[in-house]
Amino acid sequence: MEINIIKEKINHVLISVLGHNNFEMHDELTANDVDGWDSLSHMIILTNIEETFNIKFKLRDLNKLKNMGSLVSVIQSKI
Amino acid sequence: MIFNSLSFVYFIIPILFLYWYVFNKNKISQNILLLISSLFFYAFADWRFLFLLITSILLNYYLGLNIRNAKKEKIQKRFLYLGLIFNIGLLIYFKYFNFFYEGFVQLLNIFGGSSSYNTLTILIPLGISFFTFQTLGYLIDVYNEEIEPSNNILEFSVFVSYFPKILSGPIERASKMMPQLQEKRNLSYNIFVDGLRQILWGLFAKIVIAENCAVIVDPIFNNYENEAGVTLLIGALFYAVQLYADFSGYSNMAIGISKLFGIQLMRNFSTPFFSTNISDYWRKWHISLTTWMMDFVFTPLSFSLRSYKKKGLVISIVSTFILVGFWHGPNWTFIVYGLFHGLYFIPLVYSGKMNTSQVLSKGRNFPTLKELISMAALFLLIALTDVFFRSDNIIGAFEYIINIFKINNTISYNSEIISSGQLIKTTGILVFFFIIEWINKNKTHDFQIDSYNKYLRWSLYYLIFVLIINFSKSSQNFIYLKF
Repeated sequence: MEINIIKEKINHVLISVLGHNNFEMHDELTANDVDGWDSLSHMIILTNIEETFNIKFKLRDLNKLKNMGSLVSVIQSKI
Repeated sequence: MIFNSLSFVYFIIPILFLYWYVFNKNKISQNILLLISSLFFYAFADWRFLFLLITSILLNYYLGLNIRNAKKEKIQKRFLYLGLIFNIGLLIYFKYFNFFYEGFVQLLNIFGGSSSYNTLTILIPLGISFFTFQTLGYLIDVYNEEIEPSNNILEFSVFVSYFPKILSGPIERASKMMPQLQEKRNLSYNIFVDGLRQILWGLFAKIVIAENCAVIVDPIFNNYENEAGVTLLIGALFYAVQLYADFSGYSNMAIGISKLFGIQLMRNFSTPFFSTNISDYWRKWHISLTTWMMDFVFTPLSFSLRSYKKKGLVISIVSTFILVGFWHGPNWTFIVYGLFHGLYFIPLVYSGKMNTSQVLSKGRNFPTLKELISMAALFLLIALTDVFFRSDNIIGAFEYIINIFKINNTISYNSEIISSGQLIKTTGILVFFFIIEWINKNKTHDFQIDSYNKYLRWSLYYLIFVLIINFSKSSQNFIYLKF
């Protein structure tokens, strides 16, 4: 899947979970930069991403998710 | 040797002198001095467990290296599990053995057994809840490839045993502390003075605020069956402040003392009472424990329950907080304390407010009326829940709380239990304490006043000094030293 399409789908998930679009998608974007993206909403976001891409994360993957760029590459490695 | 004792002053002054003027050639000599002082400090508190501490250091060091050197994930996992069993095993044996043993025998008796039991007399090694959590976090971080394991036994030993934090935290993380031990520390006037300020504020919180609250609180809790509702409410409110001043005071002293050695420990309290909801409060209360629990309990748990959506979150958060409570000690009161805090999160999870972290009175000097009401309501809720923290058993705690709200209470107000002079005096000092905390709520610590002009700074030092001279109480122990 193309990176842009992956990002577009992630963007949809974020908007639907967080209820706003006050963020810009770029590789260095981290959860701290986005209002409302905390440890709790993080799990909901991950679940929605899993459903969207039909993949399963591992606990160890979680620690590799440092920013948007790493999220995209972890997703890419699984589809 | 607690921080606010004369023997600690005699201990630390020569060490500071040696650290900055004799052992200041390189990081190795600095670390050697810190290690010797730390082991001496621990042995001075309780020499019988020095051997245990050293064993824990060596074993965790060895396991950390083995986790990383193992090629296969299966072998890595095996070393991790060995570490988990050792560290959690230590904690369970020393701290919780009798609790589980009693529970087990009682359970047998429910099913028709008639065993009696003698609990073992087990001495609890000082600081065990703190240093085992630190080494546990270290091993999990190594396993998760969050950090590189230490390959320097000297640095690792200082990381575990460093005396300012060994007895009562903060529970340090290797990622923040190890890099500081890997470089030579240079004496900085600003950091040193900032450390002294933080010690002064911690000392003031402990020996003036916490101890004066204790004078009000202790007689009420010791005789709660015979007191009127309003007295019990006063007792609960002052206990909440006492607990905060005691532990945040301790933490500020620990962090301040560490700054004198040029080492920054993590912040443990960030003015928690200035919060408008429970999740904000826990972001600011005993931060080193809460973040530990979030990273190593809540995250894996909510991750494995993620398909249950919000229900999974609720189960994870309630379980995490029960564990937070239980961490304090083998008593049902702590479990109930944690359980209630976990339950308070449920409305936030379902309303989606969990995710919004509030910045209080942003850009303004004072809170709005709405913020003020939320803060007061939250404080009341916390104070009532703290009754479990203070009580000897859950029945006593429930009775205490029910008696506060009993309308046709036959017990009349007993004016002798609290002297009104003590109440007015303590309230007055509390107003000063919380004004300073409010002003500094967005600073790196509660008494970071380096931006104030010289006259204001010295007036504050003088005022605190006068308050300490006139109102300090001979200190009992710190509440958190027993955990």
